[in-house]
Amino acid sequence: MFSQRPRLAYIAICALVAAYGCAILFTTNSYYQLMLALVPVWAVMGLAWNLFSGYSGLVSFGHAAFFGIGAYTTTLLFAKAGVTPWIGIPLAAVTGSLAGIIIGAITFRLRGHYFALAMLAYPLAMLYVFEWAGFQEVSLPMKRENAALYMQFSDPRWNALIGLGLLVLALLVSLKVERSRFGMSLLAIKQNEIAAQVAGIDAFRWKLKAIALSGALAGAAGGFYAVILLVVTPNTVFGLATSAQALIVTMFGGVGTLWGPVVGAFLLVPASEILHAELGGKLPGIQGVVFGIAIILVMMKMPQGIAWAVRDRFLPRRGRPAQAVSASAVERLATPFVLPPHAAIMLEAEGICRSFGGVRAVADVSFQVRTQEILGIIGPNGAGKTTLFNVLNGLVTPDRGAIRLSGRDITGLPPSRICALGVGRTFQVARVFARMSLVENVVVGAFVGTATDAEAAERAREALGRVGLGALAEAPAEALTNCELRQLEVARALASRPRLLLMDEPFAGLDAGEVRAFMSLIRTLRDDGLTIVIIEHTMHAMVKLVDRFVVLDHGSVIADGAPQDVVRDRTVITAYLGEKWVPDAVA
Amino acid sequence: MPFSPPGLEAVLQAVATGLLVGSTYGLMCVALGLIFGIMRLINFAQGDFLMLGMYFALAILSGLGLSSLIGSLPALILAALAAVPVFFAIGWLMHLALLGRIGRDRPGMTEGEVHQTQLIMTLGISLVLSNGGLMVFGSTPVSLNTPLASQAVVLDSFGGDILVFLNEARILAAVAALAASCGLYALLHRTDLGKKLRAAADNPLAATYMGIDVARCHRVTFGLGFGLTALAGTMVATYYPFQPYVGLDFIIVMYAGVVLGGLGSIMGSFWGGLVIGLVQQMSTLVLPMQLQGTTVFVVFLLIMLVRPQGLFGRSVERA
Amino acid sequence: MLSLEGVSVRYGGRTALCDVDLDVAEGEFVTIIGPNGAGKTTLMKAISGVVPLASGVVRLAGNDLAPVPASRRPHLGLAHVPEYRQVFANLSVIENLELGAMPLADRARRAENIEHALMLFPVLRERAHQLAGTLSGGQQQMVAIARGLVSSPRVLLLDEPSMGLAPSVVDAIFERIAHVHRETGLTIVLVEQRAVEALELCSRAYVLSTGRVVASGTGRELMRNEDVNRAYLGA
Repeated sequence: MFSQRPRLAYIAICALVAAYGCAILFTTNSYYQLMLALVPVWAVMGLAWNLFSGYSGLVSFGHAAFFGIGAYTTTLLFAKAGVTPWIGIPLAAVTGSLAGIIIGAITFRLRGHYFALAMLAYPLAMLYVFEWAGFQEVSLPMKRENAALYMQFSDPRWNALIGLGLLVLALLVSLKVERSRFGMSLLAIKQNEIAAQVAGIDAFRWKLKAIALSGALAGAAGGFYAVILLVVTPNTVFGLATSAQALIVTMFGGVGTLWGPVVGAFLLVPASEILHAELGGKLPGIQGVVFGIAIILVMMKMPQGIAWAVRDRFLPRRGRPAQAVSASAVERLATPFVLPPHAAIMLEAEGICRSFGGVRAVADVSFQVRTQEILGIIGPNGAGKTTLFNVLNGLVTPDRGAIRLSGRDITGLPPSRICALGVGRTFQVARVFARMSLVENVVVGAFVGTATDAEAAERAREALGRVGLGALAEAPAEALTNCELRQLEVARALASRPRLLLMDEPFAGLDAGEVRAFMSLIRTLRDDGLTIVIIEHTMHAMVKLVDRFVVLDHGSVIADGAPQDVVRDRTVITAYLGEKWVPDAVA
Repeated sequence: MPFSPPGLEAVLQAVATGLLVGSTYGLMCVALGLIFGIMRLINFAQGDFLMLGMYFALAILSGLGLSSLIGSLPALILAALAAVPVFFAIGWLMHLALLGRIGRDRPGMTEGEVHQTQLIMTLGISLVLSNGGLMVFGSTPVSLNTPLASQAVVLDSFGGDILVFLNEARILAAVAALAASCGLYALLHRTDLGKKLRAAADNPLAATYMGIDVARCHRVTFGLGFGLTALAGTMVATYYPFQPYVGLDFIIVMYAGVVLGGLGSIMGSFWGGLVIGLVQQMSTLVLPMQLQGTTVFVVFLLIMLVRPQGLFGRSVERA
Repeated sequence: MLSLEGVSVRYGGRTALCDVDLDVAEGEFVTIIGPNGAGKTTLMKAISGVVPLASGVVRLAGNDLAPVPASRRPHLGLAHVPEYRQVFANLSVIENLELGAMPLADRARRAENIEHALMLFPVLRERAHQLAGTLSGGQQQMVAIARGLVSSPRVLLLDEPSMGLAPSVVDAIFERIAHVHRETGLTIVLVEQRAVEALELCSRAYVLSTGRVVASGTGRELMRNEDVNRAYLGA
C-alpha cells in the first residue's frame, strides 16, 4: 500500500515457489527431502518471530512456547482423538494464537530487557508441565490406509511441498501486515511507543494483534514440525534452542524485513543439516560450531543482517528528486489574522496538579486556549512545561484537575483517544524511519479517523503538502535536512487532521532563517483554522509569533497575558528572564 | 496422591541444602548480573562459561592427575584459583576481538542496536562453545570423582532426633561462592577500578569526561564475569555430573536470580540466586519430582509481573 | 593554554560547527554565548574529544590533541563539566568526587582536592554519602563542578551550569565559579545561554551562531554590540 514496489514482492514469492518446487521435485536423497521440509518450518518460525519482535521491537526469547503448543496440539489431537493434521495444524495455529494473546496480555506491561527475559520463562515452564503431564515422548500413530488423509505420504517430497505452501501463506500474511497500517503502527511503536500513542495508535491493541498472529504462525510451524518428525518431546519443541533458532534465522537474514527470516533459514538450515549429515558422525557438533561462527561473522560484518546488506549493496538507495527544492514559499493571507476577542474556548485546563515521587512537577495550573489562538507556554527548564503537555494529551494522568476540549472533559483518556478527538502533538526530537519515504513516515499519523489505508495515504500526502514537503513525498526521510525533518514531524501531527496542535520546542536547533520560515508555517496553519500551543525554552522568537504567553516556573503559572505585558512583568523578569533583561530589545 | 505435611527434619534439610546450593547459584548470578549491570548485555553464553569451568576442573584434577598427586581437595582449590585468571584472560580477549568491536566503527548504531547485536553474538558464541565442547569432550556425562561428593557433615543439634546432612562438596562450593562474591563486592566498592566500573555503567558519557576508558571497563567486566562463572563451574563440577550442554540446566536459574535481585543490581543478584536455591529445595517437599523445575519459572514470572524491579532492586530499569 | 583552529564538526550531513577559531590564554575566563542550537555544546564536546572533528586542530598548551582519545584528555588537565550535569546518579557524592580525582596519580593530592571542593561547596559535605541522583538540581550541579575541579585541571570547561536551575541557585553557582577563578586563577571556558550574567563574569567572550563565531571581544564590548544582540536573539 505505502511501498514503492508492491508487485516486486509477489513476483519474488512466485519465483521462490517455482525454484523451491523444482528443488523438491529433483531431490531424491530422503535425508535431503526431509531437510527441504525443515527449511520452511524454520523460515515460518522466523517470519512469526519477525512479525512480532521484528516490527514491534519487543524482543521475544519465548517463541518456543507457541511452537511447542502447536506441535502438541496437532500431535495429541492425532494420537488421542484421531484428528488428522489437516485439521490439527489449523487448530495448532488457533491454540498458538490463544497462547499469544494470553501471554501478551500478561506480559506487555514489562518493557525492554524485562519483557525479553519474562518471555524466556514461558516455554521452559511449559516444558516441565508437559513432562509432568506424561507427554515425555508422543508419537504420531501410523496410518497405513488413507495415508494422504493423515498427511503421511510415502514420498517425503509431499511434506516439503506442504511446507512450501505453509511458507507462502506465512509470506503473504507478513506481506499483508508489512504493507498495511498494521505493520506501520508496529514500526511506529518500535520507534517510540509514546509518540505512536500520541499519534493515535492504540499500542496495546496492535501489540496484542501482532503476538496473536505471530503465535498462530509459530503454532502452525510447530504442528507441521510434529508431522514431519512423527514424534514430539518437550525438549525439542519447548527448548531454548527452538526460541533461539527463530531469533537466529531472523537476525542472520535481517530483522524487520519480509525476506530476512527466509534468507536466514534458507542459508542456515541446509548448511547445518548438510554439515551434520556429512561430518556429524566424525565430528558431532560441527554444524553448531559452523552455525555459531557464521552468526558471529555476520554480526560483525553486517549487524543488520544479510537482507539489508544486500539491499544496500545492489538496490540503489532512493535519493531526493533532483529538482524538488522544498522552498515552496508558503502563501499567507493578505491581511494578518486577528483573533476575535470572544473566540470560543478550545482547550481549558483547570487546577492541574501532578507530582512525581513527592516532587510537584505541575501545581494547580489553570489556563484557557481560544479557537485559532497561538499560545506560548514558556519557562525555564524544569518548570513543568513538558509535564503539562504530557497531561494535556493523556500521557500522564493528573493527580487533580480537569482538562476540557471544547467543553468536553478529556481528563484521564488514553493518548490515542485524545488524538482521535483532535489533539495533535509534535516532539522536540524528530524521530523518523530513515529508510522509508515521507508518505510512509507521515501515514502513521493518519490512521486515526481513516477507514482504509488508501485514504490514510491520501491524508498523509495532503499533510505533506501543507507543510511544503509535497514534492518530496516519495523521497526517503534520510535525505532530509534538519529543518525539513521538523516539517515532517509537523506533517505527521497534521495527518490526523487535528483541531489543536501542541508543539514541543519547534525552534530548537534551527537557524535564524529557518526559524522565520517555520514561524510563517505556524501562522499559515493558524490561518487555516488550527489552534496552536507551543512550548519553548526561549522567548525571543516567540514574542513575535504568539497571541498570548503563559509563563510557568516551578510548576505554577506566574504570568498569563499578551507578549508586550508579559515581558515587562516583574515576576517574570525575576524568575525567568533575569534582572538584566531589556524588554525593549524584543518588544 | 495424598498430601502429608513434611516433617521438621525434612524442612531443615531442605533449608540447609537450599542455602548451600543457593550460594553457588548466587555466584553464578553475580557473574551474570555483573555483565548485565555494567555492560547492559544479556549474555547467552553464560551457561557455556559454566560448562568450561567444569571441564577445566576435570582437566586439572584428572587430566593433569593432580588429584592423585596432591590429593583431591588441594587440587580442587588450585583449579578454582587458577580458573579465575585463565578465564578472565579468555573473556578479555573475547570482548576485545568480538563483542567490543560491534559499533566501534559504526558510530551511527544506537546503544540498543549495539546491545541487540551483541546479544545475538553471544548466542553464536554459546553455539560454538557448547558444540565445540561436544566435539572435544564428547557427549558422555562425566563427573569429578572426588571423595567430597560422598562425604557429609552431620548437624545434630537436637540430641539425635533431628539429623541434617550437609554434603561436603556443596559446603566447599558455597564457601568458595561466598568468598568470591564478597571479593567482588570489595572490588566494586573499595577499589578505584571498581568505582570506575560502576561509573562506566552509571553514565558512560560522564565516565569518559572523568578520564575513564569505558571500552576497557567493559573488557574487564566481561573477563571478570567469565572468570567468576568458571569458578562457579569448577565448584559445581564436584557434585553435578556434566556434559557439554550442561549450561542449559543452569542458565534459567541464573536469569531468574538476576531478575529476582533486580536487573542491574549486581550484589542483589547474589540474594536472587540464594532465593532460587532455597525455593528449588523447598519445592522438593511439596511438589512431585517432574514439577520441581517449574517452581523456578513460576517464581520468576511472578516476580517479573508483580515486582519487575526485583526483590532487592532500587528502581525501574534505566531508559 | 587552549586553542582551536578552523574546527568543523558534522553530524550526518549537517554542519554543527564551521571553521571555529578560539584562543584561551592561561588564567583567562572565557565565555561562549549563543542561541539554542548554535553549536555551543558541540564545541565543548569537540574540545574534550567525544565528537570527532571534520577538520581543524584543538591544542592544549601547544600540543595537538588529535591523537589523544577522549578518555585520556582529563589526564592532560582538561576537565569537562557537562551539560545536564551528568552526575553518577547511583554513586554517592563522595564517590563522584573520587572519580573526578582519579586522573591524578597522587592519592594524597586527590584527598586534598576533595577536601578543598567540600570547603567550596559545604552542602556537599553534609550529603557526602547520599546517592548523587537524590540531590536537588542545584546540588547536582555543585557535584558536577566539584567533580571537575578535584582533578586539578589546567582548563575547566563548564557547559551551561545554569540549565534548569532557579535564578537564586544560578546566582550562587556563578558566585562560586567567580570565586574559584579569583582565588586560583584557573583557566575557565563557560558556555551559557544566560548571556547577560555570563558576559559580566568573563574576561573575554565569543558569540556563536549556527556553528560560526560571529563576534568576540570583552564582555562589556559585546553587551553593547548590535550584531550580538541580533545573533543572540535568533531572529
